[in-house]
Amino acid sequence: MDSVSVTQAEVSAAAEDCEGNTDSFEKVTSKRSHKRKRDAAEVDMRPEESAAAAKRPQFPALSGAQLTGGSVEMRRVPVPAHRYTPLKENWMKIFTPIVEHLQLQVRFNLQTRNVEIKTCRETSDIGALTRAADFVKAFVLGFQVEDALALIRLDELFLETFDVTDVKPLKGDHLSRAIGRIAGKGGKTKFTIENVTKTRIVLADTKVHILGSFQNIKMARTAICNLILGSPPSKVYGNIRAVASRAAERF
Amino acid sequence: MASGDGSTLESCLQLLNSDTAHPELFLSVQDALARDFKSLTKTLYDLHKAHEPADCKGSPLEQLVIENFDEEQIWQELELQNDALLTHFEQAVEQAVTDDTITFFKDTEEEEEEEEEEEDVDNSEIANSLEEESAEEDDDDKDKEEEFKQRLKPSASNEDDDFSGEDSDLDFDVDKFEEKNKQKQSAAKLSKSRSHRTQSEVDDRFFKLSEMEAFLDDMDRREGNESLEGDIDYFQNLPSDDDEELSFDKPVALTKQKKKKSSRDMKYKDFFASVDAEPEKMDPESNDDYEGEDDDNELEEEEEEEDEDDMNEEDFDMNEDDTARNALRKVTFDLPDDDDNDSEGEDVEDILGGKAKNMPKPESKSSFEKRQEKMAQKIEELETAALSEKPWQLTGEVSAQTRPENSMLEEDIAFDQASRMAPAITEETTLQLEDIIKQRIKDQVWDDVVRKEKPKEEVFEYKKRLTLDHEKSKLSLAEVYEQEYIKQTQEKKEEEENPAHVEIQKLMDTLFLKLDALSNFHFTPKPHIPEVKVVSNLPSITMEEVAPVNASDATLLAPEEIKEKNKAGDILGDTEKTTTDKKRERRKKKKLKRLKIQEREKRQKVKEVMKGGGDKTKKSKAEVEQALKKLTKGGKAKILTNDGMDKALRSSQAFFSQLQDRVKSQIKGSKDQTAKKKKKQKEISVSKLKL
Repeated sequence: MDSVSVTQAEVSAAAEDCEGNTDSFEKVTSKRSHKRKRDAAEVDMRPEESAAAAKRPQFPALSGAQLTGGSVEMRRVPVPAHRYTPLKENWMKIFTPIVEHLQLQVRFNLQTRNVEIKTCRETSDIGALTRAADFVKAFVLGFQVEDALALIRLDELFLETFDVTDVKPLKGDHLSRAIGRIAGKGGKTKFTIENVTKTRIVLADTKVHILGSFQNIKMARTAICNLILGSPPSKVYGNIRAVASRAAERF
Repeated sequence: MASGDGSTLESCLQLLNSDTAHPELFLSVQDALARDFKSLTKTLYDLHKAHEPADCKGSPLEQLVIENFDEEQIWQELELQNDALLTHFEQAVEQAVTDDTITFFKDTEEEEEEEEEEEDVDNSEIANSLEEESAEEDDDDKDKEEEFKQRLKPSASNEDDDFSGEDSDLDFDVDKFEEKNKQKQSAAKLSKSRSHRTQSEVDDRFFKLSEMEAFLDDMDRREGNESLEGDIDYFQNLPSDDDEELSFDKPVALTKQKKKKSSRDMKYKDFFASVDAEPEKMDPESNDDYEGEDDDNELEEEEEEEDEDDMNEEDFDMNEDDTARNALRKVTFDLPDDDDNDSEGEDVEDILGGKAKNMPKPESKSSFEKRQEKMAQKIEELETAALSEKPWQLTGEVSAQTRPENSMLEEDIAFDQASRMAPAITEETTLQLEDIIKQRIKDQVWDDVVRKEKPKEEVFEYKKRLTLDHEKSKLSLAEVYEQEYIKQTQEKKEEEENPAHVEIQKLMDTLFLKLDALSNFHFTPKPHIPEVKVVSNLPSITMEEVAPVNASDATLLAPEEIKEKNKAGDILGDTEKTTTDKKRERRKKKKLKRLKIQEREKRQKVKEVMKGGGDKTKKSKAEVEQALKKLTKGGKAKILTNDGMDKALRSSQAFFSQLQDRVKSQIKGSKDQTAKKKKKQKEISVSKLKL
């Protein structure tokens, strides 16, 4: 099975061929609905292999419309009030990659205050919808557009949210102090963790959102939990540094 | 004629004997004797000349002229005669040697005498032949002695002026004759005493080392003498096998020995004795009988052998065989006791066939019987072996106690080794090793041990590696991951830097650094390599800047580097301290003090324990003082001192008198001034009274 990793180049290539020639793209991208058909194809292929291995059946990539069977899928992302203005400001930056690279249709429903994303005939990748929704959601949570854009470009990025009180039941001042510890003076600590673990952190009151790859999210989460539990930032720095260097060495 | 000659000769002999009876006379010149000798020579010469056969021509002188002739002249006359006859005699000798009809016998001395007399004495050939004949029998020394004797005699006589040629002739003649006899006798003796010659270790019945040596020497000599003798007849019929003699020199070889056979006619019995014969004793008489034969044999053998190494032994074997042949003609096997009926011996006898006459059998057995006997013998042996105790090798597990001492050394044992054997060091392995070493040395490829150093990582360095960036990162997350991805994928192709480029870069760096130093705006100093450097706390401007543009009061060392900062933080003055600070300080002070005191007490206790043997009640002065101090400190106790007291109070009388006076004064006072002085009454304190 081909692994799906969309890089900028691929995305751009896909964008060029948005209009029609899906035939040139002879790769099977979507994993989900293809499974049964592919298994069948494999079964078909095996007896054929014995006959002539060179003659492999070539299936053109299915478009999103074909996959869904003609129906249109939609996602809705609610936008809170405090993110309304930033959304307005960054709308073009949000809009462009979704439409151009992912071949989706997007709009902001003013009444419901939702960002709606929809597939269309041109959509080649069925997974694009999820990614676009995640992207918008990340932005809505508070991340920067450029950081959230990584969600579209890279497949392995995830978003994690947890509450400060989940780690330790804090109340009042302690809670504030904990949040203060996480943030650090001028956001120093948060930035440090972000830089070392290659993640993006959003502190929204008592909620902590982390964006990054799985391992990195874990590292950042550990660091933040330590901070919540009361260890001084210097200690946390040391720990994350050690962990990060080990992780870097490994890869 | 002969009798006349004989009588003449006898008379000559008599005369000679009488003249030489007193050899001491010859110390001085004897003219009379000289004249006698001269006349003797003449007589003999005339005699000889008369009997000279017609075919051989000597000198034209019929008679020896001695009147008024010098010795020299007489000699020359004789020489004339001798030279003429030399060639004749040579031929005669050759003929005689090659003549088959002539045989030399030791006993027939008359024959030899005649032969001798025919061939005149002066022939060296005869001497040679005699040598040859006797070479086999004589030792080298003896041979040489005789040779020398023969040669010396004429030379001696030549040298001596007193002796004339006649003398020499006579002497030669007689001496020759005597020697010949001697030789014969000695040869006989030697042949008798063959076994008494120098024995060597390798000698046995067939081989005598001394004989071999004698033979070899003779061959060497012969080679020297006869090196010119040429053609070898390769195709002549050999008298015997390869093992036997080969005749290289045809004229010399005597192949017509009646006992000699051609190689084809040789039979077993010629080589090997019958089994029963005892070959130990060699009959000297029989040896003598066959000596003439032996001589011929030896002649042949000596002359024919050229290569010595392989043939010698065989030669000697053959010689031995030849010599022994006539006497014994047997080679016997080293048989065990005849009683044993050894199969080998029996087999040999069977092979020999009829020759095995001397086996101790009561009656001759048929072959079947013999086989049966053998079988029975074998069976018996096997049975005894089976019934008897087994040797320790076959008794299973053997320990050192059960087997004889050092018996394992003689055993060939095969066993498996589980571990790898150490490499057997042979010469080849050593040489190989040395070759490797030499090659390594040439290539300068050493196996030096590289010192391993633990990579000590400073915490500082470690921290520097992962710089903590406390600021918001400039790159977005996407870009960060992008960079990582690119790094991962492009890790493989690491650009190989052109060495020229590297050099260029280096040069450029140095150049730009210098340029930057001159233009201050963009000057960044090179990164500081941490090393121990002594920094003096001078104004920084003098150290750092190359071209001082402005003055600066910045110093090189930070204040923290001058004096270490306190853990607590800033130093506070007295007014700046808060209550908590003060209290903290106090507490600290007290704690320190307490620790000090405790330590001191501990030390004191230790000291007391050390001195614990002495009187405990006795206290040192210091201790006493200490105790007093302690007591009076609290105000609880007071020390009575002598203050205000007179010295007179020392004695009791003085004290009481003083007391009396005081009381009196008091009473007086009370009487006079009761009201006034009541208040002023001094209290009679205990301290004052010093009770």
